[in-house]
Amino acid sequence: MNQEIDKFSDLKSQKNISVMIIGGGKISEQHLIALSVLKDITVTGICDLSPALSQFTAERFGIANWFTDYKSMLSECDAKVVHVLTPPATHKRIVKDCLESGRHVIVEKPIATSNKEFRELYDFALSKGLHLIENHNYRFNRPIVDLENAVREGKIGAVKEIEVRLLLNIGGGRYADSNLPHASHQLPAGVIHEFITHLAYLLLNFLPETDVDNFDKVRAAWQNHTGGSLFKYDDLDAFILSKDVHSRLRFSCHQWPDGFHVKICGTEGTAEAELFHPICHITTKRSIGQHLTPLFNSIDKAKAIRRAGFRSLWNKIRNKGAYEGLGKFLELTYKSFLNGEEPPVSFQQMDEASRLIDSLLLKENSL
Amino acid sequence: MKLLITGAGGFLGQYVVSEAVRRSHDVKVLLRPATKTIPKSWEEHPKIEIVKADLRSSKGLVEIVSGVDCVIHLAASKAGDLYEQLGGTVIATENLLNAMTEAGINRITMTSSFSVYEYLKRLTWSSIDESSPLAINRLDRDEYCQTKLLQEQITTNYAEKKGWQCTILRPGVIFGRDNLWTARLGMQAGSRLWISTGLFAKLPLTYVENCAEAIVMASEQTGSEKITILNIVDGKSPTQLSYMRELRKNMSSKPLILPVLWIFMRFLARLAWLVNLFFFKGTAKIPGLFVPSRIHARSKPLFYKNKKIVTQLNWKPRFSWKEGIQRAVSDDELTLIPNQMEKETLASAEKKT
Repeated sequence: MNQEIDKFSDLKSQKNISVMIIGGGKISEQHLIALSVLKDITVTGICDLSPALSQFTAERFGIANWFTDYKSMLSECDAKVVHVLTPPATHKRIVKDCLESGRHVIVEKPIATSNKEFRELYDFALSKGLHLIENHNYRFNRPIVDLENAVREGKIGAVKEIEVRLLLNIGGGRYADSNLPHASHQLPAGVIHEFITHLAYLLLNFLPETDVDNFDKVRAAWQNHTGGSLFKYDDLDAFILSKDVHSRLRFSCHQWPDGFHVKICGTEGTAEAELFHPICHITTKRSIGQHLTPLFNSIDKAKAIRRAGFRSLWNKIRNKGAYEGLGKFLELTYKSFLNGEEPPVSFQQMDEASRLIDSLLLKENSL
Repeated sequence: MKLLITGAGGFLGQYVVSEAVRRSHDVKVLLRPATKTIPKSWEEHPKIEIVKADLRSSKGLVEIVSGVDCVIHLAASKAGDLYEQLGGTVIATENLLNAMTEAGINRITMTSSFSVYEYLKRLTWSSIDESSPLAINRLDRDEYCQTKLLQEQITTNYAEKKGWQCTILRPGVIFGRDNLWTARLGMQAGSRLWISTGLFAKLPLTYVENCAEAIVMASEQTGSEKITILNIVDGKSPTQLSYMRELRKNMSSKPLILPVLWIFMRFLARLAWLVNLFFFKGTAKIPGLFVPSRIHARSKPLFYKNKKIVTQLNWKPRFSWKEGIQRAVSDDELTLIPNQMEKETLASAEKKT
C-alpha cells in the first residue's frame, strides 16, 4: 500500500485542509465537534436534504456555505476532503461522485453494504489517487488503546479467546419507530448492520490471524427476538475459530445495562475493556505467588473501577461520550494526510472487516 | 371550513379535533401510521376523516393536504435529543409546507411555544407579550426552544414568500388531564417531594380546552394581516405556589413542597456558568437547571399578557385555571364529540323548548 500512498501527494504540502460534510444528522454533529478542535482544518460546506437542518448546522458550526444538493456543493465549494455521513445505502453513489470530483473521502461505517461494493469503491479511489477511509472510531477510544498496549506488551501472554459484546437498547427510540422505519432496516443485517462494523474491526484488531479465508469456522446465529416485521434481526451470536483462538461476537438489545465490552483471554491473564463507561482492567499472573495473586488483582480491579468512576464523571462534565475515539481518529487521519503517511485505518483493516461481515451473513455460516 | 389537523393524536390535538367539530368544521385528522387507539367518537363520524402519515417523510403528503381550507399544524417532537426534535418538528414542518405549496393551500395556523422568548436578558417582573424579543443566544437554550424557533422561522419565511395567511400561536403552559405538571414548576423528586424553583413566579397557564378553542378560532379568523402572532394564556396567572397547592389538594398522595428561592437558583446558575467559563472555556455540560438561560426561562418572575388574542379573536377562556384542574381530575369525558344525528336531535329539542 505504501507505493499507493505516494500518489496522494496533493495534501502533503497543504497548510490548511478544507473539508465538506454531506449529511447533517447526529453523527455529523460528532464529526463537526471533533473537527472544530483540530488545527489546520476548515469546514467550507455542509449539505443536507433539509434546508433548515443544513442552514442550522452551518450557523451552529460557523460553516460558510450550506447546500441541499451535494452535487452542487461538490461543484461550487472548494475543499480537498469530503466526509460522507449519510445512511449506508447511499454511500456507494455519493462516495463515487465525491471521488469523481477529485476529493478524498472519509466515510461513516459501514463504508459499503458488501465487500464487493467496498472493493469497487476502493479501486476507484486508487485509480484517482485519492484516499477512501472508513471511520473505525472505537479503535481509538482509550480503553481499546490500553487493551492493545497490554496485548502488545505480552501482559496476558498469547491470545486464546476474544469476546466483543455490544448491548444496546434499540428496542425503543429511532430504530424501533414503526411510524417511519429507520433506513438501516433495509440493510443486509437489518439494524445490526449499523453497528456490526465496530464489532468486526474490534475483533480483528486483536486476532492474531485476520484473513477471513484462513479462519477455520465462522458461524452466526441471527435472530429476531422482538418479533414482528420491523426488525430483520435484533440479536447476533457469532462464533469464529481461527487455529486455537476462539472468538465470539455478540449483539443484543434485550439485556441491561447498555455496554460495549471487549474481553481478551490469554495464556498469562485476561484484559477487559468497557467503552461506554471507559475502563480497562488487566488480571495477570504475579510473582507474589498463587495465593496472593487473586488478592492483588482484586485490589487492582477496585482501583481501576474507582478511577473509571471519576473519569466517567469528568467525561460527563466535559461532554465527552463514547465518541472520544472519533476525535483521535480524525486527528490521526488528517495528520497522516499532511505528512504523507499511511492513514490510521488501512485498506487491509477495512477490507478484512467487510469480508468478515460478508462471511457472517453467508447462508452456509448461519446457525 | 375543511381543516387538516396534524398532531391530532397528541395531548392538545384531541381537544382541537373535538373543538373544530363542535364548531361545525369538517376535519381531516392526521395520525401517525402506527397509531392504534383512535377515539371512539371519531370513528365513522360524518365530519371526521382519518388519514395516516408521518410528516418526517414527504411521502403522500400532497394528497393528504389537498382540498383543505386551512392546516392546523400541531405536530412536534417534545422528547428526544436535538436531532430527534429537529426531525419531528423542523423537518416535519418543512415537508408539510412543501406539500401545501404543491397542493396550492395557502392558509396555516401553527402552534409554537412561549419558550421562544428571551428570558435571561429580560427584567424581573417585566411583561411578556407578542412584541417581546425572541431568544438571543439560541444555542444556549434547550432543544425544544431551538427547534420551535426554527419551526417558526421556516413557516413565516414560506408564508411571506408565498403570500399565505399564517397564524403563529404561542401557547404558554398547556395543562389538562394527564398533563398537570410542568417543568416551570421545578422538579418532582419521586411522588413525595416537589421542589419549587420559583415560588412566586407567575405561570403562563392555558387550560387545554381553552387553548383548543383559541386555536380553532384563530384558524377561522380572516383579517388583512398576512402573518399574525398570538400568545395564548388564559388571563389571570396563578403563582407556582398557588398552582402547586391546588394541584396537591386534588391528589391522593400529598407531596411535600420544598421551596428554593428564585434568587438562590439564579445565584447557583450564575456560579455554574462562571465555573464553566473560567475552567472549561464554556464546553462543560451542565444540567439544564443550572444553565442561566434555561432556569430564567423556567422560573423567572414575569407577567404574561393576553390582550392581543382576546381583542383580535374575541376569545374568552371558558374555564379558570382552578376549573381546569377540576375538569382534568374529574371522570368527565372531555373530548367527546356529539355525532351529527345527536346534534340535530339536540338542536330540535332545544328549538321545541
